[in-house]
Amino acid sequence: MTTTEKPNMIEFRDVHKYYGDYHALRGINATIKAGEFFSLLGPSGCGKTTLLRTIAGFEDISSGAVLIDDRKMDDVPANKRPTNMVFQSYAIFPHLTVEENVGFGLRRDPRSKEEKAKAVAEALEMVGLKGYGKRAAHALSGGQRQRVALARALILKPKVLLLDEPLSALDKKIREQMQVELIKLQREVGITFVLVTHDQEEALVMSDRIAVMFEGQIAQLADPETLYRRPNSRKVANFIGTMNFLPAEVLSEGAGGIEVEAQGFGRMTLSSDQVMSGEAGQGAVVGFRPETLTILYDSQTATDREVMGTIEEVVYFGDMTYYDVKLDGTTEALRISMRNVFGRPVLEIGTRARVAWSPGALVMFR
Amino acid sequence: MRKNPSLRIYALAYLAFLYAPIVLLPIFAFNDSRVIAFPLQGFTTNWFAEMWADQTLFIAFRNSLTIAVSAAVFSTILGIFAARASTRYKFPGKPGILGLIMLPMVLPEMIVSMALLVVLIAVGVPLSLFTIILGHVLICTPFAVAILTSAFQSLDRSLEEAAYDLGETPASTFRLIILPLVMPGIISSLLISFTISLDEFIIAYFLGGNQTVLSVYIFGQFRFPAKVPAVMALGTILVCISIILLTIAEYFRRRGIAKSGGKDTGGFL
Repeated sequence: MTTTEKPNMIEFRDVHKYYGDYHALRGINATIKAGEFFSLLGPSGCGKTTLLRTIAGFEDISSGAVLIDDRKMDDVPANKRPTNMVFQSYAIFPHLTVEENVGFGLRRDPRSKEEKAKAVAEALEMVGLKGYGKRAAHALSGGQRQRVALARALILKPKVLLLDEPLSALDKKIREQMQVELIKLQREVGITFVLVTHDQEEALVMSDRIAVMFEGQIAQLADPETLYRRPNSRKVANFIGTMNFLPAEVLSEGAGGIEVEAQGFGRMTLSSDQVMSGEAGQGAVVGFRPETLTILYDSQTATDREVMGTIEEVVYFGDMTYYDVKLDGTTEALRISMRNVFGRPVLEIGTRARVAWSPGALVMFR
Repeated sequence: MRKNPSLRIYALAYLAFLYAPIVLLPIFAFNDSRVIAFPLQGFTTNWFAEMWADQTLFIAFRNSLTIAVSAAVFSTILGIFAARASTRYKFPGKPGILGLIMLPMVLPEMIVSMALLVVLIAVGVPLSLFTIILGHVLICTPFAVAILTSAFQSLDRSLEEAAYDLGETPASTFRLIILPLVMPGIISSLLISFTISLDEFIIAYFLGGNQTVLSVYIFGQFRFPAKVPAVMALGTILVCISIILLTIAEYFRRRGIAKSGGKDTGGFL
């Protein structure tokens, strides 16, 4: 990731927020780099929207500090901050036209009328709404409102664009299309984007880095691949995608790695970056993603290691098939996903299967 | 299932009882006879002319207009404050305070006017148009609050935040975003308060001192049978004005809801 060399755009220093007795933000420490597409991901009520609103200036913080471009924002009201927001409801002014909405933020701009009109036209063109300027805002579709909200926020060339669940109200097709457009747009304008979402897939697709939040705290902050491959806790692993767990035990720890005995898989050596500590008391487990195991066909030879299992459930998805497989020596069935490659039949329930696995795909939580 | 015809008859009888007397107003206003009785005697516009020439009536009408406009403006301004507070802010004792504001809606006007009269006399405020306005603001404000709360409620909070986010101050946000979006509600509130004040009798009678307003004047005229046809003419005009005002009010209320994309949750018509 090249973003690591870039300067800080937003910095949270031990940010706390109380609503009466309710502790909504519990010590947030994080930095967001300039030009980064950053996501705040978590279930509803985790504080992600509250955190976003502290950047915008809509929420006062109880203690700590929020810095934008190395400047403390304590006394800077929302209308003076170098941020603009795309609201979940889009907040398009219903009594104004598309043009008037987009140009709303230019009211205090000293430029001439013609220059402002040009800026509005450019902003509309950027979001693919060329020629929509004269339309009444309340007559637009959901996707179009979204674009107007984007144009309205970007026309002010903010240092940071804040997006509060901007795609949650759209249909699946339009949502996926908008995801791609947002990524392109962000690269084009180079502005720091901070996105709030509860949709893990959306966060993985769009972000340079993601902060996963639970109960007012950041559980893990990493790039999508690290988050997916090396989640630092069972909770993060379960929130992002699916993960299988098997009971395991640490046999010995040495310079060469950590010797582990896992149910079903037997003995293996894991490197230290595969082992996530900090969950003492829950019992150690190894975890793996459904696609990291492979059901082998008779003609195939195992690349690393292989175990035997019985298929207990088959769920067909068209491009993929999900198998619940109970490996010999384990107590619970594990989910394995296989691509339905041409020529490979979908296996039936009850089939005995050879399953290939690799220690490199495992994560241990203890 | 067969419908019971008695319910339909009841509904029709109810409507007839409600509106037949009002229909009689224009009929006798144009009837060429001083006696209010059938059969009709032919068409005339004399009563309108007689009404027009009545100097006392003119003064009463001017007084009523002054009171109604003042009461409408004041109660709507108070209503804006109350509606804004009730929809946007949290403060201790809010339900109780709002309940007390709405109470005059169900409180007998007789009690309101008696209590006000006692206090005003005790304090030494001379009875005048001003004291009637005071009483009318009291009874109109709950209606203004009800209408304006509905208008403010249908306003998405993020609209304000968006304007603020785009560089506007709270004051300019109110002027540029909130006010235009609740304007239909404001107009509706003005018109309904105006109508309520114009019709009101008890407070106007109790607190008016020697100043006459329209409703009190009309009641007084009924003592003289000869004056009744002119009162009918006046009544006809008032009915027309009321219908027009209420229609305009409802039109603006509905347009306001449609504009801000909210759901229709009530109203008076």
